[in-house]
Amino acid sequence: MPRRSPWLWAAALVAYAFLYVPLAIVVVYSFNDSRLNAEWVGFTFDWYRKLAANQEMLQAAANSLLIGLAASAVATVLGTMAGVAMYRYRLRLLPVLVLTPIAIPEILMGVSLLIFFVLLNVTLGLVSVALAHIAFCIGFVAIVVRSRLAGMDETLTEAARDCGATPWQTFRHVTLPLIMPGVIAGALMAFTLSIDDFVITFFTAGAGTVTLPLQIYSMIKIAVTPEVNAVSTLLMLLTLVLIVIASKLSPSLFRSD
Amino acid sequence: MKRSYLACTVARTAALAAALLLALPALAKDQLHLYNWNNYIAPETIKRFEAECKCEVVQTYYSDNEELLAKLAAGAKGYDVLVPTANAVQALIRGGQLKPLDKSQLPNLKNVDPAYMNSPFDPGNQYSAPYAMSTTILGYNDEKMKELGLPTDTWAVIFDPKYLEKVKGRVTVLDSANELFAAALMYLGYPANDTDPKHWDEAAAVIRKAKPYWAAFNASSYIKELTVGNIWLVHGYSNDIFQANLDAQAAGRKFRILQGMPKEGAVLAVDNMVIHKAAPRPDLALKFINFMLDGKNSAELTNLIGSGNPNADAMKYIKPELLKYPAIFPPKAVQAKLDQLKDVNVAQRRLRNKLWTEIKASK
Amino acid sequence: MAARPSERWGKWLVSGPPLAYLLVFFAAPTLIMVLASFRSPGEFGGLAPFFGDDGAPDLNLESYARFFTETVYAQVFVKSLWYALITTLFCLALAYPLAALIATSPRKYRDLLLLLVILPFWSNFLIRVYAWMIILGPNAAMARAVNGMLAYVGAGPVPLLFSSFAVLVCLVYVHLPFMVLPLYANLEKHDRALLDAAQDLGANAWQRFWRITFPLSLPGVYAGAALVFIPALGIFAIPDILGGPNDTLIGNLIKQQFLETRDWPFGSVLSIVLTIAALALAGLAAWIGRRSAGGGGPARA
Repeated sequence: MPRRSPWLWAAALVAYAFLYVPLAIVVVYSFNDSRLNAEWVGFTFDWYRKLAANQEMLQAAANSLLIGLAASAVATVLGTMAGVAMYRYRLRLLPVLVLTPIAIPEILMGVSLLIFFVLLNVTLGLVSVALAHIAFCIGFVAIVVRSRLAGMDETLTEAARDCGATPWQTFRHVTLPLIMPGVIAGALMAFTLSIDDFVITFFTAGAGTVTLPLQIYSMIKIAVTPEVNAVSTLLMLLTLVLIVIASKLSPSLFRSD
Repeated sequence: MKRSYLACTVARTAALAAALLLALPALAKDQLHLYNWNNYIAPETIKRFEAECKCEVVQTYYSDNEELLAKLAAGAKGYDVLVPTANAVQALIRGGQLKPLDKSQLPNLKNVDPAYMNSPFDPGNQYSAPYAMSTTILGYNDEKMKELGLPTDTWAVIFDPKYLEKVKGRVTVLDSANELFAAALMYLGYPANDTDPKHWDEAAAVIRKAKPYWAAFNASSYIKELTVGNIWLVHGYSNDIFQANLDAQAAGRKFRILQGMPKEGAVLAVDNMVIHKAAPRPDLALKFINFMLDGKNSAELTNLIGSGNPNADAMKYIKPELLKYPAIFPPKAVQAKLDQLKDVNVAQRRLRNKLWTEIKASK
Repeated sequence: MAARPSERWGKWLVSGPPLAYLLVFFAAPTLIMVLASFRSPGEFGGLAPFFGDDGAPDLNLESYARFFTETVYAQVFVKSLWYALITTLFCLALAYPLAALIATSPRKYRDLLLLLVILPFWSNFLIRVYAWMIILGPNAAMARAVNGMLAYVGAGPVPLLFSSFAVLVCLVYVHLPFMVLPLYANLEKHDRALLDAAQDLGANAWQRFWRITFPLSLPGVYAGAALVFIPALGIFAIPDILGGPNDTLIGNLIKQQFLETRDWPFGSVLSIVLTIAALALAGLAAWIGRRSAGGGGPARA
């Protein structure tokens, strides 16, 4: 194990602190006895109680989770394929199509997808939102996977071929395990993007579809109460639990050896 | 291997989500889709309506008229009742997006104060029924303003550098070209709906001169900062300022947040119930509108958030202390100075946007 | 490598599905809006009818002309580029040690450390920005410390909230995981043996980093930079919530066109210019990367 310099530790700890101080405030303030939540007033469990009774908010959270898992799953598969293809073959159209959704302003993408869905007479709902999310998540996964492949040792794949493996076998048993950290990283990014998306979701959601960001942003002008902190805290914990369970059930998935 | 894992996870989560969804009340056959501002209807009112009509009210929310307009302009469907503000109603009517109201189903329409009926954007109330209202005024920290000796009944306090000097960095204004230009025009003595480009230039100049003293253009988080005491003076909505005071008192602060009605006039925003042209259940929509025009139901929102109320019949159900706020229930003298914002055409919108962008980009 | 038939087939099999998906759910809708940039705005919102009064299609270059004649939009563009650049550099500075720490940790802790990086980002964006408002508030510890120090040297108090500083801090915060994850994915595969060999040959820590680790990590750096710089160019929510009166970015202008001004054609024009600029910069960075790294991978052989 390499001996890591104390500078590295110090810098990394500063970065972790930077990440966690705001989060600590989010969690702590979910117990704040103040509707506007701009300053600490007092301790209370009220907001969690209110949340338990708030069907709308809970439904919104469930929808967000569902769309997030589905969209990130599909985006990871398609994005990995795109990343591998961009690395392996000389392509002209795919790199542009993959990169542009990242560059294009969300509001343009949202409005255009809505017009598109209306033209095709697609019923707006959870599915239309998921389809939209997949479109902009593919790029993130593809770029990470491709960068992971860059500089990869070709001798391994060539050796596999020489031993008679088909391209699929080479991919499944050699390439995929090697790029797995990149795929996981891409999947995490896709999930994060999906559960937090507002603009595109706003335009592609149906008349009865609420996701958590839609619910929360609609409160922006009145008051984003600590109930939102509460639901955010719970959603984080739930997702963490899901992932830990998943990693325990398929431990080989997360290793790249 | 990876695909089956992912499929497995998705399946497991789908099952979990399905269980969650099924645990919620079974979908009623009759649904009314209401597209409204968040926290703009009391939960008890919804429950009473659901009991009365034996239907389910499905609410989704927007936080800006323009978001509603953009979504409908792109062709979104499925909504029954919308609650746009007057200028948005104007745009929707002209864009052919609304279904005319069947007045025979709205006996309670007579409850509305005649002063708010028959407005220039919807003569004869063919499409809209007034719901609630607010004014765009000044909000201030009474302790600080008294300490600094600043007036609170004139727009000059946010536009005139001689006042602004004392509150530099402690003032916010709304991040809305419509609202800010209206305020500047009124400060200069012009009507809020003035469309003379020369007057707009003057208003832009006033805004640019005052900008260095302002902390931010903010329509979303300014209320928090006012309540906490970081910001002392805001250009904001009467409902928000009312709420800010309630929160400030609940948090035990020593100052109060008060509403200041400028003598030059202010913008009145009347929100109306309308029916979308492609509404799936116009019959339920009419029932809902009639229900909300009943005085008792209408009063519940006012009692909840301190919004203004155009319904004459509701007055007897409103908490007496609320009736004393001139910004919420303006007396006749003030009413004369309130103006509803009118929608403008493309050329004017473009001009205003150019001026607004230049203001925002200037140092 | 000559294109064997199975090679060709493989190429379509792998690139086909994502290509098809993006063509349908991205390219087609976007083309609708690209077309919109040549049309006129509707009187009260949306777009004017495609076929004008005389039956001919209503297409014009008005909106493009406006962009090129009213220079204020270009000014805002340049400012956005600056903000995005600064955000990317600070993200890199913070993300690199984090990714390096995780990549060199014992295997059993790696996943946990990585999850800890991304966990905060599963809370809602708005809540995190509000948390920063609390941290940067005028009466909070940070502002008091900074202004106390400034007062000591005789300088006036500086607002931390509603300022460019607040916007940049929040931009860095929000984009950090998108720099950490690609860097991690790259650093994770670095061969320890190289570093050990270098150490045996007498290289110190800095030399090992600068001459071995950093060059090898460049693909990760470029990927992270792309995933931070490009989205940061279009952001509007952060300046809206905690920006000062001068913090208007191109994302805010674009949002205004679609909302308050209801000028969809002009909004499309601004969006197209932004997208092309972003893609061009990404392409430029990739080209520089290829030239300096001397290439790598079969497609570039």
